[in-house]
Amino acid sequence: MSAYEISIVSVIGINVILAVSLNMISGFCGQISLGHGAFFGAGAYATALTMVGVGSVPLAICAAIVTGSLLGIVVGFASLRVRTDFLAVTTIGVNFLFIGFVRKQAWLGGEMGISNVPATGLGASGNMIMTLLFACATIGLSFYISRSWMGFAFRAVGEDEGAAATLGINSGAYKLAAFGIGTALAGLAGAMYTFFTQFITADAFDFIFSVMLMAMVVIGGIGSTWGVVVAAVGLTLLPEAIRFVNDYRLLVFGGLLVLVIRLAPGGLAAMTRGALLRVRRI
Amino acid sequence: MYYIDLAVTGVSIGCMYAMMSVGLTLVYGLLRILHVAHAAVFALGAYVVVLVANATGSLAVGFLAAIIVTPLFGMAIYRLLYEPLLKYRPDVPMIASVGLLVLMQDAFRIVFGEQGITFRSTFAFTTYNFAGITVSAVQIAIVVTAAAIFAGLHLFTTRTRIGVGWRATVSKPQIAASFGIDPIKVRYLNFAIGSALAAVAGGLVALLNNLVDPGIGFVVSYKALAIIVLGGLGSVRGTLVASLVLGLVEAYGTIFIGAWLDRDAIAFLALIVLLMVRPQGFTGARTA
Amino acid sequence: MLKRSFHAPTLSAKVVLGLASVVLLGAATMMPARADIKIGFQAPLTGPSATDGKSAQIAGQMAVEDINSAGGVLGQKLELVIYDDQAKSDQAIFTANKLIGEDGVKLVVNGSYSASGRAAAPIFQKAGVVMISAYGVHPDITRAGDFMFRLVHLGPPQGAATALYIGKTLGLKKVSTITMDNDYGQATMDGFLEAASKYGIEVLSKYSYSLKDRQFGSIVASVKRDNPDAIYATGYFFTGGPLVAQLRAAGITVPIIGSQAFDSEKFVEIAGPAAEGTYIVDSFDRDRKDEALQKFFTEFKKRAGYAPEGVAAITYSAVMLMADGIKRANSDDPAKVRDALAATKDFPTLEGSLNGFNSLHEILMPISVNVIKDGQFKPAGEITDLSAFAPPEK
Repeated sequence: MSAYEISIVSVIGINVILAVSLNMISGFCGQISLGHGAFFGAGAYATALTMVGVGSVPLAICAAIVTGSLLGIVVGFASLRVRTDFLAVTTIGVNFLFIGFVRKQAWLGGEMGISNVPATGLGASGNMIMTLLFACATIGLSFYISRSWMGFAFRAVGEDEGAAATLGINSGAYKLAAFGIGTALAGLAGAMYTFFTQFITADAFDFIFSVMLMAMVVIGGIGSTWGVVVAAVGLTLLPEAIRFVNDYRLLVFGGLLVLVIRLAPGGLAAMTRGALLRVRRI
Repeated sequence: MYYIDLAVTGVSIGCMYAMMSVGLTLVYGLLRILHVAHAAVFALGAYVVVLVANATGSLAVGFLAAIIVTPLFGMAIYRLLYEPLLKYRPDVPMIASVGLLVLMQDAFRIVFGEQGITFRSTFAFTTYNFAGITVSAVQIAIVVTAAAIFAGLHLFTTRTRIGVGWRATVSKPQIAASFGIDPIKVRYLNFAIGSALAAVAGGLVALLNNLVDPGIGFVVSYKALAIIVLGGLGSVRGTLVASLVLGLVEAYGTIFIGAWLDRDAIAFLALIVLLMVRPQGFTGARTA
Repeated sequence: MLKRSFHAPTLSAKVVLGLASVVLLGAATMMPARADIKIGFQAPLTGPSATDGKSAQIAGQMAVEDINSAGGVLGQKLELVIYDDQAKSDQAIFTANKLIGEDGVKLVVNGSYSASGRAAAPIFQKAGVVMISAYGVHPDITRAGDFMFRLVHLGPPQGAATALYIGKTLGLKKVSTITMDNDYGQATMDGFLEAASKYGIEVLSKYSYSLKDRQFGSIVASVKRDNPDAIYATGYFFTGGPLVAQLRAAGITVPIIGSQAFDSEKFVEIAGPAAEGTYIVDSFDRDRKDEALQKFFTEFKKRAGYAPEGVAAITYSAVMLMADGIKRANSDDPAKVRDALAATKDFPTLEGSLNGFNSLHEILMPISVNVIKDGQFKPAGEITDLSAFAPPEK
């Protein structure tokens, strides 16, 4: 595989982890998060600092997961206080705060970011394989949760908290769990990202990126693991395949987001399900 | 002198925030939707003012054109995007709104260029001097316009039939409908007025900076979100108060806080703290 | 509508389409090319830095056309392979890999900001690809290795030269500083602050603002209270323009000195009459009696619709320098081109004569200063004491 192909596949893997984890929070549990980039960034910075300081890959990955998760649980508490669209605004705020804070801290590299992050020693192909393995694990975890009691509880909380309470579901606890797990995975993606670029600056984790991630989830079909995976892969490849999309990236992503919500709110997953039903009827 | 200078800055910025945010709080009050794309309306207004003013040589015509065009855009957003989504939970139209904002911003860049457009008139540069304090003509215009607009809105909603009907629909939609007030017309009116105000705010900001660029709406958009929560969602008076407070806090605060936190993040910090502590905002008009 | 036309239950249409496109694209790029020398080109064509990206792209294309119409290099035509890196590190890495892997490029001009150059540099270095950073100022770009070159003055030397200019040439001692808080703005200001005492400059206060700011009311009021002899501000034309306008509107009349990125006609447009008398350090001297420069000016203005600024000029020069390196090396082999570039002496760029590169491949070149008079950029001196602002060595 050429270096270019390796880098594309690596980024696809990272985006899949991010999209699937966001789907857990916003899709399964209905807690709209438009600041997923902040948790991604938190993981990336934790990894960078660990690698620069200690140089241990497993430790760096753990640091990323823990950091992402801790930040996520803190934000998760916000979801207990306000309803979903204000939660979305809060998460936007968290994203901006994260970047605003990081850019001013010298120990986090400030404006210059953190460069010369030591390599993992696995080489570019090794990193790619690690990323893909984690991506598959994430997809597996997503399916497992979806079919488990936890997934049922998430969905109950997401659709109707009042009804969920009558079933004895502690919605607060499950919301925190959703955030905790989803953001832990985002942190993991951050680790993969740092291994890939070996140089991070705060602006890679901005609000626009978070919107792109939400676009992947919505277009894939909010709540559907498969749909989200396909959308993540497709939307990462699309700018590479079609020059027009690359040049007018935000226009296309924003446009797709609007169109999908407006015309097919269930995303690709719903469209495919509908098509399947029609095929069966024939 | 210094503190008065800062106060002048704070008040004029606050008035600009107020004009921008009123549209947002109006939409929320009526439809419970966070109309994030309002920032795109604001930006469109700014572009129209600059382009028409440059083309015709008259600032007044520029503003007039903006006040005509942007309400159409705002109403179109309601009709094409929000109305069909009202049946879903509130975050669905909000995400659509965010998508629209991102799309419009790129569209502005593609159509009007990344460099931005400046005014050809020299209105932007006139200043006046009062006892050592320099105030620019634009700042005066902002404060005067804001005062006029809010006074006008107050009169409109208390003295005219349409205005009263509008207020009634916002607070008690069913009862208003039973009085024969058409809620759909009220919605259009809502968007029209909110958008026109945003256009005026946009034009004034473009004058203040002598520049309109694709990103002009972005920074103000999330501050407006913070403001409407702080002011109590749906409350125009609350928005006005919160806008002035934020303007003054920024003016006095940036020098001190700018060292450890990004200036834009300050508004968000305030927002988050407030949402956690008192989701009803200062005046407690609506719950979050 | 999608609902009716696609009924593939197992593979999503989107994935198929995406993969098919990638395969087609790969096939297209693997088709045999003519005997052209390819020069890779990264620039931020989209995103917040798109203004400079567009200027860089046009300038780069102009340079290639000028070279080709004059007969090309070593009998071959130059071809610019352009990619949008959005001024982001991950995109820079992507596009760098693409250039090396898919396009087989061995020589690259990076017409983008620091984040991009910084991320791409190690990749190019490892692949033995020569990269000239036209205007990316992150210090680590040249530290990535000996295949890297930088054609713009680093931030800190620019700041140091400014200190010399303000303290010695203008003779102003009490200065208020306003920094744009990104890497470029900060690095430049750091250089200034470090060298300030050498020229008897007393820094009264330090203010900072962000890239997105256009309103500087608080800073303006504070500067007014400071009552300095001069104001030094780092930033881009879209921040400097409003800043200068607001400073003057507040009644502040002392000289304002701006950093390199103020250099754009847009700055004069935005600030209007307030721009008058503003000094810009490391601004490019448009009045030089140089035929190539004047021709570049008119041609760029025709193509872009606006007059070229520093970014355009330096990107044009970067491509010209690359071509010159190939010519002197008498080969397009990157190692030979690298050695030829390192040995550059007195190369005529649009900004003036490039003396050469130091051991770290940073430029040794005087810094010219412009002042705005009657809305035009007029020369206001040159800082020729190279030792006063020497870039770091290896």
